[in-house]
Amino acid sequence: MNRHSSLFAIAFLFATATLAAQSAPSSENLYTQSHPAMGTIFTVQLYAPDTDSADRIMATAFDEIDRVEALLSNYQPSSELSRISREAGDGPVVTDPETFSFLTRSFYWSKQSHGAFDITVGPLLRAWGFKAKNGHVPTQAEQRPLRDEVGWDKVQLDPTAHTVRFTTRKPMELDPGSIGKGFAVDSVVALLRESGVHAAFISAGGSTLYALGAPPGENGWPVEIPDPRTPGSIASTFLLHDTSLSTGACTEKFFIQNGHRYCHIFDPRTLMPVEGVLQSTVITPSATDSDALSTVVFVLPPEQSREVLSRMRATQAILFRSAPGVPTCTVFAAPAHLCDTHTPSQHEGVRP
Amino acid sequence: MDRRSFTQSLSALALTSASLSSSALQVAHSVVAKPNSVDDTRASRQTARTTVSTPLRLGLIGAGSRGQELVRSFLRVPGVKITAAADVYPLRFQQLNKVCGYEVAAHADHRALLDRKDLDAIVIATPLGLHAEHVLPALRSGRPVYGEKTMAYTIEDARRIVAEVAASKQIFQVGHQYRYSPWIRAAMARVAAGEIGDVTHVHAYWNRNNSWRRPVPDPSLEHLINWRLYNKWSLGLIAELGSHHMDIANWAMNSNPIAAQASGSICCYHDGRETDDNVQVILSYTGGRRMVFTAMTNNAKMGDQLWLYGSKGSLNLTLEDATFFYEPKKIEVAKVVKTGDGHEPVVTSASYSPANEMPYRGAGSPVQIKEGEDPTTAATRAFIYCVRNGERPIADEHVGLGSALAVVSANEARLAKHEVDIAHNA
Repeated sequence: MNRHSSLFAIAFLFATATLAAQSAPSSENLYTQSHPAMGTIFTVQLYAPDTDSADRIMATAFDEIDRVEALLSNYQPSSELSRISREAGDGPVVTDPETFSFLTRSFYWSKQSHGAFDITVGPLLRAWGFKAKNGHVPTQAEQRPLRDEVGWDKVQLDPTAHTVRFTTRKPMELDPGSIGKGFAVDSVVALLRESGVHAAFISAGGSTLYALGAPPGENGWPVEIPDPRTPGSIASTFLLHDTSLSTGACTEKFFIQNGHRYCHIFDPRTLMPVEGVLQSTVITPSATDSDALSTVVFVLPPEQSREVLSRMRATQAILFRSAPGVPTCTVFAAPAHLCDTHTPSQHEGVRP
Repeated sequence: MDRRSFTQSLSALALTSASLSSSALQVAHSVVAKPNSVDDTRASRQTARTTVSTPLRLGLIGAGSRGQELVRSFLRVPGVKITAAADVYPLRFQQLNKVCGYEVAAHADHRALLDRKDLDAIVIATPLGLHAEHVLPALRSGRPVYGEKTMAYTIEDARRIVAEVAASKQIFQVGHQYRYSPWIRAAMARVAAGEIGDVTHVHAYWNRNNSWRRPVPDPSLEHLINWRLYNKWSLGLIAELGSHHMDIANWAMNSNPIAAQASGSICCYHDGRETDDNVQVILSYTGGRRMVFTAMTNNAKMGDQLWLYGSKGSLNLTLEDATFFYEPKKIEVAKVVKTGDGHEPVVTSASYSPANEMPYRGAGSPVQIKEGEDPTTAATRAFIYCVRNGERPIADEHVGLGSALAVVSANEARLAKHEVDIAHNA
């Protein structure tokens, strides 16, 4: 699975506003800074009264992203998630409340999606060569142990003791790739709000976005959704306000073998790459949730996704598919014209 | 007697157990040792994964960013609970409750926290200028103490803490967590075994590219939040960043420095701060050995790293790894020439070879370790092990004193603009 981190063109449009401020005081200027983390580039745009204060807030924001990466990275042996992956096969591992809440939310989505979302897919991605960037269809011998190594139901969380235990009695490989960036974005958003920032836009490599407030004189931060059916074209434009948007696609991470294209987004239940899906986009107030749900919508059949999303507030989604005999664009809790319209659609989330 | 021999001469501390909950004193045999461990040192014993979950109640003095980070690590140790906290900034309690996931008893005065009878150990993460003011009464309250680095703002206070630890027979661990880093420990063991020869020089950098200034919601909170920038509370970059490197230099040199030179300036951030935004320190050790530390805040190219140099090679230490590099062999075995046989004539040439002067270009030899755990997570678990077992910490008060001697003396040299001798007996 480990969907996206795709830097494909979710083009972010910033309109230079000169109108009177709605969310941010008009005397503030827009500042932008980028920072590599979690295998991608995080970009923060925010309105601040001057360069010095923007610089301080940016430094704090990127420190927070680095802190979350150090907590959750599956590439850093010193991360808390790596420690759990190593030790929870030997018995219950006590972890801190923040890491436990991350795991709780991850496995919540595993349960809600009937296993379509699963952070235990590390061995699956490794077997298919996506970790070493040498994508290939694994041999039967390589595939055989995967059934025992992958599966969210092999992880037991004890909310009272804050412990994690693997029923496999062996190390597992927890991979935060399909939810960790959203978790980091939510942490930064909370910090920016505490710092008094009224208007900001956070992008985790383009695949998970959060719009805090709105630019001065605007109703939201504009975000374009590409139409993967016609490369280079735009399907919809959204104006986001206090909400998050995440997209999953296979436009960057894939390999072709014997003329067949294999996507890096897996269905953990079949242990096979998802077929016939081009792109999924989910809008919902939490970036952690939008990050995870973009994978859920990518993996599940639309009718099952609809059931999962129906329990969410202020949530919409768009799915593009290429399989024969199915609609190429499906919307969830949104008007059908979003598949083909260029008229900005406004989406307001829920301020915490 | 130097620190190491002093430390090794001590067996486990005779703890006063009155302040510990009885369950906290149960222990030991259920500690899970690392498999196939051949390094049965105190460090591996103290940092070993544990399944002991007997309740242990911590009181935190100073619930700012570092205090909260320590709490995250302490809460990864089975049985640990943060029972109470003291801070002068009320917002910290909200943040701490969020980190803990439950409500922690809040005190505006650290003395009220120390008066509580339901705490098994005290954690102190206040500004440096307040360390002794908080550590000393915490020790006198009859409980083990984890105190953040630098151990004290003055050498006199550092010595008072050493004396109080001895008088109270309490455990004290200083926040030099790199003493617990798996890759640094593994590398330093190889250095001690002579892998790069005798370490004669340590060059250390901690360079960043930001103002080191934190956002302040109200100007009245400037000194409280940006205390690192003001002399009353802080010894600046030398202490906040350099103390870790100076501690590692002391470790590598197996002694404390005997003299310090230093300089610094405010080069880039003319924003009302009092502490320098760049510093340079030279520490002298016996035998002409030197440690050089530099920190700057407007260019992060060198990042945070140390180089240990010996005649046989070099060791590079970072926050994530350790890598050895080796010097070219100076002497090669020549072909044996039988008596009476003539030598082949030597063709003369220019002797200079630029290749000998170039920096190493190879990848080096990384130190391979099985479990690259976060140093703070390991250090906090080790502290709890020591509390439960009455064992002397690796980063004890003498480690703290060694680093404090370097930091405080370097700062004195910076102010005096000349070399300062470091007195070891006071």
